[in-house]
Amino acid sequence: MTSADRRHQIGGADRPRHIGARVRRVEDRRLLSGAARYLDDIRQPGMLHLGFVRAQAAHARITDIDTSALADLGAEIRVFTGQDTSGLTIKAPAGHDPKSAALPDGHQGYWRMQDSEQPLLADGVVRFVGEPIAAVLAEDAYVAEDAAERIAVAYEALPVVATMAQAQDPSIPPIFAGWTSNVYIERQMAGGDLAAARAAAAHVIRRTYYNQRQAGVPMEGRGVVAAYDPADRVLTVWSSTQIPHLVRTYLAEELGFPESRLRVVAPEVGGGFGVKGQVFVEEVLVAWLALKTGRPVKWVEDRREHLVASIHARDHLHTLTAYVAADGRLLGLEADITVDVGAYSTFPFTAGGDPGMAAKVLPGPYDIPAYAATFRALATNKCPLGTYRGVARPSAVFSQERLMDDIAAEIGMDPIELRLRNVVRTFPYKNALGFSYDEGSYAQALERVRDLVAEDRAAARASRASATTRIGVGVACFIEQSSHGTPDFTRRRVPIETGYIAARVTMEPDGEVTVDIGLQNHGQGHETVMAQVAADALGVAPENVHVRQGDTLTTPYSVGTWGSRGGPLGGGAVHEAALKIAAKLKAIAAHLLQTDASRIALHGGRAVVIGNEGSYVEIRRLARIALRNVDQMPAGMEPGLEAQCSLDGPADGTYSNAVHAAVVEIDIATGKLRLRRFVVVEDCGTILNPLIVDGQVRGGVVQGIGSALLEHFIYDEDGQPLTTSFADYLMPLAPEIPNIEVHHIETPTPRTPLGAKGLGEGGAIGPPAAIANAVADALGVPVSATPLNANTLWTLAADIRAAAETDRDG
Amino acid sequence: MRPSSFRYHKAESVDHALELLARFGEDGRPLAGGQSLVPMMNLRLAAPEHLVDIGGLPLTDIAFTDTAMRVGALVRHRQYLAEPRVAHHFPALHEAVTWIGHPTIRENGTTGGSLSHADPTAELALAAMLYDAVMIVRNTAGERRIAAADFFEDAYVTALQPGEMLVAAEFPLPPVGAAGAFVEFAERRGDFAIAAIGVSITVADGRIATAAIACSGAEPRPIRAPEIEMMLSGRPLTDPQSRAAGRRLAAAIDPVGTFLTTADYRKALIGELTARAIDTACARAASR
Repeated sequence: MTSADRRHQIGGADRPRHIGARVRRVEDRRLLSGAARYLDDIRQPGMLHLGFVRAQAAHARITDIDTSALADLGAEIRVFTGQDTSGLTIKAPAGHDPKSAALPDGHQGYWRMQDSEQPLLADGVVRFVGEPIAAVLAEDAYVAEDAAERIAVAYEALPVVATMAQAQDPSIPPIFAGWTSNVYIERQMAGGDLAAARAAAAHVIRRTYYNQRQAGVPMEGRGVVAAYDPADRVLTVWSSTQIPHLVRTYLAEELGFPESRLRVVAPEVGGGFGVKGQVFVEEVLVAWLALKTGRPVKWVEDRREHLVASIHARDHLHTLTAYVAADGRLLGLEADITVDVGAYSTFPFTAGGDPGMAAKVLPGPYDIPAYAATFRALATNKCPLGTYRGVARPSAVFSQERLMDDIAAEIGMDPIELRLRNVVRTFPYKNALGFSYDEGSYAQALERVRDLVAEDRAAARASRASATTRIGVGVACFIEQSSHGTPDFTRRRVPIETGYIAARVTMEPDGEVTVDIGLQNHGQGHETVMAQVAADALGVAPENVHVRQGDTLTTPYSVGTWGSRGGPLGGGAVHEAALKIAAKLKAIAAHLLQTDASRIALHGGRAVVIGNEGSYVEIRRLARIALRNVDQMPAGMEPGLEAQCSLDGPADGTYSNAVHAAVVEIDIATGKLRLRRFVVVEDCGTILNPLIVDGQVRGGVVQGIGSALLEHFIYDEDGQPLTTSFADYLMPLAPEIPNIEVHHIETPTPRTPLGAKGLGEGGAIGPPAAIANAVADALGVPVSATPLNANTLWTLAADIRAAAETDRDG
Repeated sequence: MRPSSFRYHKAESVDHALELLARFGEDGRPLAGGQSLVPMMNLRLAAPEHLVDIGGLPLTDIAFTDTAMRVGALVRHRQYLAEPRVAHHFPALHEAVTWIGHPTIRENGTTGGSLSHADPTAELALAAMLYDAVMIVRNTAGERRIAAADFFEDAYVTALQPGEMLVAAEFPLPPVGAAGAFVEFAERRGDFAIAAIGVSITVADGRIATAAIACSGAEPRPIRAPEIEMMLSGRPLTDPQSRAAGRRLAAAIDPVGTFLTTADYRKALIGELTARAIDTACARAASR
């Protein structure tokens, strides 16, 4: 079925007019004109400002916190330490008991699990540089920072675990009391007959790959304001978060505060990329301080705090072994995955989230009959690891796609041909772990990319003779599971527990529509897309739809925005809820027009009789009837136009696919890399808004380029962070970014109401692999790690320089 | 990332600024474009008690005499690009300015601020070394003239004393027909340079008559390379032996590695950039 067919099918005669259209983002007006209100714009009467004393040692016992220098500051300062907040923590067990049914599958053996809790303020020991030790409240934020600077902390050094090797060294004591090692969790996943694959393999190819530690770096950092209103006993917490309902539930449970009297509001959020998809100690602490002091409390993170103490990402080490037949077919794959997850387990995806995701997705788009993975999370004295756009998939795809190129080189096959020989072509497809893939366009996307970069590949071959400049082309072929339902989370045993998204659609008496959705927009364009979806279902214009989100007071309970779920599940929920209202509008219209509801279509603001456009009722009149002039409704019909849908994903989710291709040019003498082209062919099912899809893809690719080339959060051997400002933590800037060419294939999924699959993260997933493959192609050397900065590329080009020297001298 | 408290003073004249700076001594700092000082204050790497805002003072001109170009301390970086005589007389300086940061920084940053801050990778400091600029420094007692080579003492350290302020930099005009080039290497366009090379040559009969080479990235301040300069004089523009010059400079320096770049890489990079800058300067001279 083509997407056009499917679109036609949606709503039958109510043909989509807005879904799939290039509708400009309605949110941009306020964002670009400065009218948007962010967390830092929130002011409350009598508000106190919070500053932090943060750990300067990576692992140490706190022997003294000296506040005597505050006396001559001439300001009223209140200081809280771990003694005051004792017992309050972030609890995120990596082996969370979902308190529901038994695990649905038997192929995940539990080896080892150890849990940690992160105290709101250090409990006598600090475990990473940047960990909060003391909270300082002052009348203004400048004075709070002055005060924090004057508090002297004395430390007694403890052995620092600064590397994966140290975390696995039994002679170094674990960083948590009662632990037997620095391993949070170690588990296995397996499926298929690996012994048979080993026996049948003509080639066995084993490689180790590494992706560096990164920060997430949304433009706006974190921030929290909390205010308690004694009149109605409601605690309101504003937080720059992606997950307001989850923050509310966590606060209620941790503070013992009734959830019905807790309101969490995410105001305008200036980017999140997953970073703001955790519940942080700062959120719990600010809420606690507001209750404790009876005064509103505000904390706004600065960039240095963000870089050292929000969450980090990647830091993955993978060793893969491929069992390959003589004709290039993959018979089996083994993976050993180690992730340095830092000092604490983060809520709700836990220390096990990243390694588990890498293990789960590594078979990728390929038909591999047998697969086994062992994965582990290591505790070190570094910033905790959390979710960042792509979540382990950029690393999994890096390893998988570097491996494909390494296999191609080893067996002497064209890398795109090797992929074409192995990609899944018949759907639905069940992989070795039992995950069912919906229909995709893996081979088609590869063929399209092969055509698009044919000339570049010829230029790359021609450059092999050059001693000064080399060109290389690399591709990355991948799938991205998203929209997975509750069983997937149960299987992972993470406290997220579920992933449904709820929307409530209300038509007002004037015919205008309100959508209240449990998503939280931080750049995705939800307000535009959800209005398009509701407009089509209700036969009105998107301008008549007002989308509200981010406030637990007005929106139905949901897990928030993460995991590329907003379009397929959020859009699906809006669609389903709006259809319920549409049905009612049709029934009222049929009653007025004396026909059957099945003969009514909604479009252009009218309920019309199909085949007789002249016979209609204005939708706003129907709304007035349903809400005000209820005597004109069909007998017995309940007044009102409000409907809700809570949409969980399909058990195995949906699988978007894409192929990225990078064309690089490398200056052999300096290591300078220039991206000549970056090409994306992607398939996210039904495209809800092409402008937004392109924007999502391009933004993701830019971040992926950062992962591939520049962004590196570096610690020294003492666990001291070295890249604590934008002078050293290098993000890609406009001059580093080529024109990103985006091409689409549309294979709608039958698994979500609109045929949409997730697409928010995909852009960031492919670039490290595609660029590394292009570098390997250009320089004729294996590439096993990122980032590929100029110094690294210069080192990789050493043989080419040496050969040129020999030529010249000889 | 909020500064410690400080007192703000608006200077009404150069003399007023010098009086204020004399009064505050080490506790006072002039504030011009704020492109380095303000971030340092926000990071609490600098905590001056008194800021003397010199932004309104009449030190904003690039002026030419028969023998020199005089650049006021408050000349913004973009002004070099708008003044055609800069590119005419000082092509390497003009090219260097295009490498300073980003448009916002070039709009706000000042000559006096950059030279006084003495970042070891600063383009203007390198150009001042290359063209033998003289720093004009004043305090309430009078004026001093300090050669660039004596002014830049170490990373972020200059010959300026408390109470002194740079009021101008004077660049002697090279002979007519001088050519030049500036090449820089940074991980991203606009970053602090990993290394940069400036070259200025005078030409006679198709050959290099005199050469000047300045380099950043080798030491904590920009340096000149007199040996390489000697090597180049007399070479034909069509064959300046730039590779040999680059190799020789690379062999003579001993840069320090950082956590982002190794010493070996810096060395090799400086050699390569030297060759490229010489080649570019010679090609430009030959094409005239």
